[in-house]
Formats: sequence, C-alpha cells, structure tokens
Amino acid sequence: MIENRPVTTVIAHCVLIVGIAVLALPIWITFVAATHDAVRITQVPLPLLPGNQFFQNLAAAWGQGIEGAGGQPVGNMLLNSLAMALMIAVGKIVISLPSAFAIVYFKFPFRMGFFWMIFITLMLPVEVRIVPTFQVVADLHMLNNYWGLSVPLIASATATLMFRQTFLTIPDELLEAARIDGAGPMRFFWDILIPMSRTNIAALFVILFIYGWNQYLWPLLITTDRSMYTVVMGIKQMLEAAEQAPEWNLIMMTTLLAMLPPILVIITMQKMFVKGLTETEK
Amino acid sequence: MAQMQILNVVKTYGKTTVVHGISIDIQDGEFIVIVGPSGCGKSTLLRMVAGLEDITAGEVHIGERLVNQCEPKDRNIAMVFQNYALYPHMSVRGNMAYGLKLRKLPKEEITRRVDKAATLLQIEGLLDRKPRQLSGGQRQRVAMGRAIVREPDVFLFDEPLSNLDAKLRVQMRLEIRRLQQRLQVTSLYVTHDQVEAMTMADRLVVINEGRAEQIGTPMEIYRNPDTLFVAGFIGSPAMNFLPVTVHGQQLRISDNTVLQLTAASTHQGPAILGIRPEHFTVPTNHWSELEIIIDIVEPLGAESLLHGHIEDLEIVIKLPAAIAARATDRFTVTVDPQHFYLFDPNSGQRIRQ
Repeated sequence: MIENRPVTTVIAHCVLIVGIAVLALPIWITFVAATHDAVRITQVPLPLLPGNQFFQNLAAAWGQGIEGAGGQPVGNMLLNSLAMALMIAVGKIVISLPSAFAIVYFKFPFRMGFFWMIFITLMLPVEVRIVPTFQVVADLHMLNNYWGLSVPLIASATATLMFRQTFLTIPDELLEAARIDGAGPMRFFWDILIPMSRTNIAALFVILFIYGWNQYLWPLLITTDRSMYTVVMGIKQMLEAAEQAPEWNLIMMTTLLAMLPPILVIITMQKMFVKGLTETEK
Repeated sequence: MAQMQILNVVKTYGKTTVVHGISIDIQDGEFIVIVGPSGCGKSTLLRMVAGLEDITAGEVHIGERLVNQCEPKDRNIAMVFQNYALYPHMSVRGNMAYGLKLRKLPKEEITRRVDKAATLLQIEGLLDRKPRQLSGGQRQRVAMGRAIVREPDVFLFDEPLSNLDAKLRVQMRLEIRRLQQRLQVTSLYVTHDQVEAMTMADRLVVINEGRAEQIGTPMEIYRNPDTLFVAGFIGSPAMNFLPVTVHGQQLRISDNTVLQLTAASTHQGPAILGIRPEHFTVPTNHWSELEIIIDIVEPLGAESLLHGHIEDLEIVIKLPAAIAARATDRFTVTVDPQHFYLFDPNSGQRIRQ
C-alpha cells in the first residue's frame, strides 16, 4: 500500500533528517577538527565550521605523524592496514572457495565432520583463542610482519559457509551438463562455479576488507615494531602521547584518512555488493 | 549415429530397486520415447544411459561399445535437460561452444558448427545474448543447439518441453521431431505426457514402476495394449474400465446389462472390460447396447466429450458433435465388440481371444 499524505511525508523526512544528522555529525566534527590548528581545537566551544589549517594538518599527519606516538607517518600506517586488510580478504576468499567446493561437490569420508569442524570455528573468534594463537604466531616467528597480522584472521568459517550456501543454490543440472560437455571437477570450478559466484565474491570481499581494516586487538598484540603499526591501532596510540596534550587536529586528520579506503572500496564495489547479497537468479 | 542396446538394466538405491531390468533394442536413427507416470524410473534409465548414474546391473551399448564404465563425456551423447541447464554467465555462443572447446576442436571448426546449428534452429540473432535475456522457447532452442553442435551418436531428452506453455510445447514438439528426422540421430526422449509420446515416437516404451510394460510403435500400443496399465495410460481421454463377469460369449456388467462378444471367451469369470471413449457409437442393429446416464457434456468443436456413469462407474464417451447434441440425460450407445479389451483383474494382463 502506498500512502500519499503530505503530513506523513513531512514526518518521514524529519525522521530521516534526524537520523542522518545523528550519523553525520561526528564525521563533520572530525572533519572540522582536522582543519584547525592545535590550539583552537582545545578551546571551548568546539568549532563547528572548518578552519584553514587543513593542508598543514594533512602534511603533518601524512609525513611525520605525532611525536608522542613515536612519530609514525600516517602514510606508512595506512599501507600496513591496506596490506593486512587485502591479505585477509583475498586470503579468506582464496581458501574458502575450494573448501566450499570440496564440501558441496565431493563425497569423501567424514565430509559432514569436516563441515562441522569448520562451522564450529565460528564460535572461536580471535578474541577467544587469543593466547594460544599468539603462542603459535610467536613460535612461527611471525610477530611484527604482515603474515602474523593476517594469517590468524584468515582462518575462519564465515566465507566458507557463505560460498557453501551459494554453491548449494546452483542447480545440479549445470554440473551434469558440464560433465556431459566434458568438464572435469577443476574445469567446472573455474569455468562455471567461480564466474557464477562473481557477485558473491565481490560482496564478501567488501565485508572482509572492512573486517580486516577494522582489526584492533590483534595488531595491537603482535606488533611491537612501530613501523608495523596499523592505522586503527595507531590512532589509539596517538592519544597516549605521554608528555603532551593530544594533538586532536592531527588525530582527527588521521581518522579521516583511515576512513577513506573502506569508503572507496564500498563506493567502487557497491553495485556488485548489493547484487551479491540480493541476486537470486541462477 | 549409432544403434543402441539397453540390456536388462537395473538400478537400486540401497534396498529400493527403481529400475527392474529393462531391455530396449534401438535402431540407428530411431526416435524412442520413454513414457510413464512420474517416479516410474524413466528419468533414472535415461541418466544411466547418459552416465550420470551408475548402472547397478545390466549393460548399455552405444554403437559397438559397452559404455557402462565410460564417463559421460566419453559416451558421445548429448543431453537436453528439463530446465535447459544453460550456463547463465556465458553467451548463447559460449554455451554452445563450451563442450567443443573442452574437446580442443580448432576455433574455425567450432565457429562453423555453432553457426550451422544456429541457422538450423533460427537463433542466429541471439548468439551474443545471455540466457536470462531469452524466452523459454529460445532457451529450449539453445539447449538443443548445444546438443547438436556436438554431433553426438545419441540425443537424450529429459522432459525438455515440460517447462513451456501448452502452445509452444506443441510447436517445439514438431520442431524437435523435424530436426531429428533431418539429422537422423538416434534419440531417447523421456516424458510423462502421453500425447507427446504418441505424436513424437517411432517406438514407445511404456514404463510403470521400473518395468517396461510394453514396447512398440504408438499405433500398435494404442490398438493393442498388453496390460491394463498401458491401456489406461495411452490414449486421451483415458480408456473406460468396467468390471464384468464373463459367461461364455456374454459379458455381464454390474447393472445387469449384457454385452455380446463375437466368440466365446477362453477366460471365464470376473474380468475388466476396457472401452476407449472414441469407440462408442449410436446404436445400430446388431451390437448390444449400453444405457448411460449423462452428467456433463464438454463440446470440443468437432467432437464432444460426454461424462456419465453406469451405476457408480464413470464413463467418458467421445462422439461427433452432431450426434452428441442429441444426448439427453439417459443415452444409449453401443460398441463394436472388436473394440472390447478384456483384462485379467488380478495380473492386469490382457486376455486375448
């Protein structure tokens, strides 16, 4: 039913506008704070209009970082975050595609056993198994490098389960047609399953990239070398600049920069993302 | 192109047997329709020929070869599926060419074959489209095209028309038949639709509960059904069945009407009398008459269907429209005793005179 009464339209708009304001205001304040100098930002009241220090702050944050936090340039931290997020997203997809393929299409002993073992790992996120995981990573000499940052987070069941569901929706006749056409299992996987799951892969990539990008606890634990800091934990480190007041203008600038890559990923992949989550035509 | 032999093929899943030893001898270029109600094992039989299901026992020969252990791709067959099973991410051309590509045929040969099949099926204009942009009938043609380009020994059809609307089905059924006659490829066609089966087949295999009840040309099966099941399944509207008692040359129906056979029956006692709706006529001088109470008249144009009953037995009669117009609620008809089919009520086997 579609109602078309002006009063309801007005109310709907009001609710939406309030909602957007609630969501957008913190981002606006972050932006405003990133455009003032260090002194103005500590004074009350907080400025609500942008200042003129945007490019100075950008240069300072990007180039040298904050002294109290060890002077890590944001550029380097972004690079670390990017490497970690990409490795997690790509690694998960690369591993879970064949494992879902195996679980759905092959008959082997203890197939359901393996499936449940994978499934159960959903109940054991990194936070739960953090001590043993740290031990393993330390023993493998993966502290303070990209492998240590990403490998423990790659091992999880979400992607495998999602691909399993996707594969289950693909009709058996397609497999049979491919068999009659002469496609072996790996051909079928490459030529048919993967192209047909393209949008799901894209959707999962977006989700996993942001998941990887937002990791905080794990990088905090295994990186002691400042050059390996990721941006999300770097922001926190900036607050703990011991000897001086936090340089809010630079922190906010870093926050802005940290938001950019996920936003870019979402904007560029939005179409496929929505398709991958909603498309039913197979 | 090849002849084919299916020898005593059996399929069991665990303890349940779904195909109980079916044998069919198929000539080169013959169009065989396998027909039966759903769940009778006809698709399973086809899938065993295709190599998609293991053969529990028995042999399948294609040409001179025993193919029991061959992979589907090595059997030189092509299959058309009920839901077409087109690869959704490939263009029509890609769909048709995929099997050839995997066989490592040279590019020019692939293009030549695809173009030829497309012309044959009149889908030249659709080659660059994706399956989702096609209508049901067009998808059906593409699926056919994918089968044709392989130039197989045998075509296998698994209820290929059941997803189409009635009008298109009639049209595609003619087209498939025409195409098969032109290409002269041995074909196995599975359907549950007896009209499709009658109209398309060189020979019919009627399957019931995993057994081949009868194999023969459509007219043979129509005129001379071996069993109660075949008699009831083939022909539309279905044959009428009346329980009768045979005494010498007489058949007694439950309302005490007596019908005369042409000669004394070898079988005495209870039997089932089958009469096709189209074999009823208005009374003439020397055949015994049946009085039927008419419930509904369905005019079909040239003919009409009269639905009625004798006691509590439903009867369907097909008469030319002009005669049917005279039908009142009590209507007397007669049947040439040549068209009586008598069946054993226990075994369902035909009682031949």
